[in-house]
Amino acid sequence: MGIIVIEGISSETPRQRWANAFTIITALVLFLYGLNVRENTLNAVTPYNNVQAGITALYPANWLLDTGENSIFRVRDMTQPGFKTTIQITIQPVSSATTERNLADRLALIRAQTFTDYSVLSIESYMLRNETPAQAIAYSYVNRDTGPFQAGVPVVVAGLDIITLSRGQALIITFRAQSDIYDREFSRFEQFLSTLDF
Amino acid sequence: MRRLILFLTAFLLLIIVVPLLLQAQNTATIDLERIQRATVYIIQAHSDNLSIACVGSGTIVRYDGLILTNAHNTVKSNRCDGDTLIIAMSLNINEPPVPRYRAEIVQANTGLDLALLRITRQLDGRLIDPATLPVLPFVELADSSLVALDETIIIAGYPDTGNAPVSLASGSILSFFDEPGGDDRAWFKVAAAVPLPGVISGGGAYNQRGQLVGVPTAALLNLEAGGECRLLEDVNGDGFINRNDSCVPIGDFISVLRPANDARPLLRSASLNLSVETLTSPGFQIAPAGEATFAGLFFAPAVVENLPTTVIGSAPAGTDSLFLFFDYANMTPETIYELRVTVDGVPAQAFDLPPVRWSGGERGLWYIGADGVNYANGIYEFRLYINGIAAASSSILVGGPTQTIPTFTNPAFGILDEAGNLQGNGYVLPTAPIATARFIYQNMQPGLPWTVIWSYNGLQIARTDDVWREADGANGAYPVSLRPPEGLIPGTYRVDVYLNSLLTTTGSFVVAGTQAGAVPRVFSNLEFIRTDDPLELPETAAANTFPDGANTLYARFDWERITPGTNWTIRWRVDNDIFYEETRPWSSQEQGVDFTVRLTAPGGLPDGTYTLDLLINNILLETAQVSIGIGQLAINRLAQAGGVQLQGRILDAETGKGIEGISFILISEEFSVREFAWNQDQIYALAITDQDGNFEIDRTLQIGAPYSALVAAQGYLPVAADGLEISAEDTSPIKLVIPLTRDG
Repeated sequence: MGIIVIEGISSETPRQRWANAFTIITALVLFLYGLNVRENTLNAVTPYNNVQAGITALYPANWLLDTGENSIFRVRDMTQPGFKTTIQITIQPVSSATTERNLADRLALIRAQTFTDYSVLSIESYMLRNETPAQAIAYSYVNRDTGPFQAGVPVVVAGLDIITLSRGQALIITFRAQSDIYDREFSRFEQFLSTLDF
Repeated sequence: MRRLILFLTAFLLLIIVVPLLLQAQNTATIDLERIQRATVYIIQAHSDNLSIACVGSGTIVRYDGLILTNAHNTVKSNRCDGDTLIIAMSLNINEPPVPRYRAEIVQANTGLDLALLRITRQLDGRLIDPATLPVLPFVELADSSLVALDETIIIAGYPDTGNAPVSLASGSILSFFDEPGGDDRAWFKVAAAVPLPGVISGGGAYNQRGQLVGVPTAALLNLEAGGECRLLEDVNGDGFINRNDSCVPIGDFISVLRPANDARPLLRSASLNLSVETLTSPGFQIAPAGEATFAGLFFAPAVVENLPTTVIGSAPAGTDSLFLFFDYANMTPETIYELRVTVDGVPAQAFDLPPVRWSGGERGLWYIGADGVNYANGIYEFRLYINGIAAASSSILVGGPTQTIPTFTNPAFGILDEAGNLQGNGYVLPTAPIATARFIYQNMQPGLPWTVIWSYNGLQIARTDDVWREADGANGAYPVSLRPPEGLIPGTYRVDVYLNSLLTTTGSFVVAGTQAGAVPRVFSNLEFIRTDDPLELPETAAANTFPDGANTLYARFDWERITPGTNWTIRWRVDNDIFYEETRPWSSQEQGVDFTVRLTAPGGLPDGTYTLDLLINNILLETAQVSIGIGQLAINRLAQAGGVQLQGRILDAETGKGIEGISFILISEEFSVREFAWNQDQIYALAITDQDGNFEIDRTLQIGAPYSALVAAQGYLPVAADGLEISAEDTSPIKLVIPLTRDG
């Protein structure tokens, strides 16, 4: 009985080779397309335009937009479990003698009365887009915002206030996120800042 | 015959079962859980060591944390000297209350013994940003003028000093007590199935629709007067709880309610953040000059414009209304008065008014009485107490036939015109040479001696003794006039008419202002000024409309011929709802210009039509209106308490455990999930789950409205639904369970 040694698959037809190549290319294209869709979905934005306040920006899509009593613009990521990552803009009147630093100190004093364990981590100069000077206050506090009849463990929130003066008023741009995902979420804020015009 | 029996049986079933079914239907609409959750326990504490000064119950009456309660255990006083108010609530309705917030008094009327508190701080003293305060469960106020005798009510409150959960007790309305001022129901007398401890004071009493009809009230008596006081804490820190420590006063058992309508002005001004301030400095100090006293007790069968129709010494059998009148002096809003009644020497609690705060002025004529109650035959002794000490008493016989005795009734006052007609409104007369009182007389007999005594500010100024003439007849109207040599000077006048030396009728009127038509001109040139700087008031022009809004509004008016001490009333309304009303003694000069009152609200006055009324003896003497902004109040949908409550739990479908921090979004009925663009304006309500996955919508759902719901959470597939509709059959609260499937 003789032994037949198979040394390889017999050579493919050109059609088969083309098919293989096409399959690989298609898979690659689809993968890249998927990456693109994912990226677009994650970074999708919604335009915001406040003519009265002279503010335009692009904020993350599917974040809940509201204009509360204390802010002219606020968006929150309601799909985030725990503390809802928040970006907000507040406007305050200022005098000609008021500086960003004065406002930063004032803000720190007010927040200390309303936030539990409010702690300023740093106050430093910050440069906004278009070379607009600002002051940035980094802080943290403990948040518990459930109703009185619900049980909930407080979470630590990290925040950043960017204060700048423009047209006789102070613009306070705030970013807050749960401290353990703050760095991950910060890119959304940077993206927002890069589109903010006032 | 068989058919007749069947017919009768069916008829009997119909008349027995239908009322029961109707009653059951009414009862089913009460959301008891909501009532329990809206009931809070209030601790008035000393800020230095947080020791308890006083305790009581309260009720949340607005979604943003406005609490209706009594003034006696919240407003700082000798008995309750704490300066910090702590709000405790039952996190689980079957458990005692847990301190959660601090509150401040935003409106109070110590005489009515009502106060409105606002939650302003967390328990640790941190300020609460109003935007972050969750919408709290609250109850609506009923129109308490519609409460009927024998109506079934539910009384809610905390029965103990923080050791017990909210209690609900059923009861019924026994009678209505009348006092001067307001409408004809100053107090609701209640009969409860169980005794209601004093700590419930300040809580709520509810009708069958779950609306608050009244505030259970019991004032705090001093220890010497039999008041109860509990030692709860080692206040002085000496390691012992003994008499050296201050105790917590507890009111007597509760048997009366202060009607909810009395709280409406307070609630209106508190919800709009409105505050009223008189800027004109008082020229005189009106204060009690001695011990509080009651004197001159007599009875009347009815009351018209706060005056007795006539004076009676006995009442016929079948009497169902009886009023005790008396003169009072040196009273203050903190004075506690009480009425105890015996019938033939046996206490008759149905007619008692338990210790309550004084809601009248410093001196004048007062009455207390119940109507709509059957007064059984017997000798009724009415005994009045001041601060727990017997002050005066009087008796009357009820029973026997109706007597046709000579009487004077229904006094009216005015100025006689040339034709002999009585001109004027009856209770406020201008300064003039003569005042005339006209009485209805009945069953008079010739030769009967009668006397008219006129008094001015409590001092007798004229007396006429006469005998009845045959020419005047047995029945008719009789005028008597007062002609002081110097004419009528401003002040309060009174006339007492005696027959055979027995008082038969009495009445009083105020003389103020000058003659100008039907009502005297006392107040004039009432106008409104808008300015942010009071110093600019003299130069600022008045107006009646401010379309672009106003932060602060000033009202000013001139006055003439009004004597210090005369009670006058200032009343503010917005869109015809009274939000401020105060009757006080006039304390400025007798005449002058630019009496100034300031109306303000933080953040500016809400748009609306504001009216200022100036009154004396309930007679409107001057009024003016001003329109702010669009001229009417904005509609606040959150202010509606009716509807169905929605609760639920969001679970991980795989593990079955609750998921914390998930948003449950209830979209307004105008939008579907597809139309939802993540805008807050499209959201009806929003809830976040707690650590067990439980959530609770803080607004009630309206029956028949089609809502949409959305639950979207990172790591889970979203869940959405349109057309969630609540039907009338759904009982509150509705509970949902939503399992979420993990994504990938």
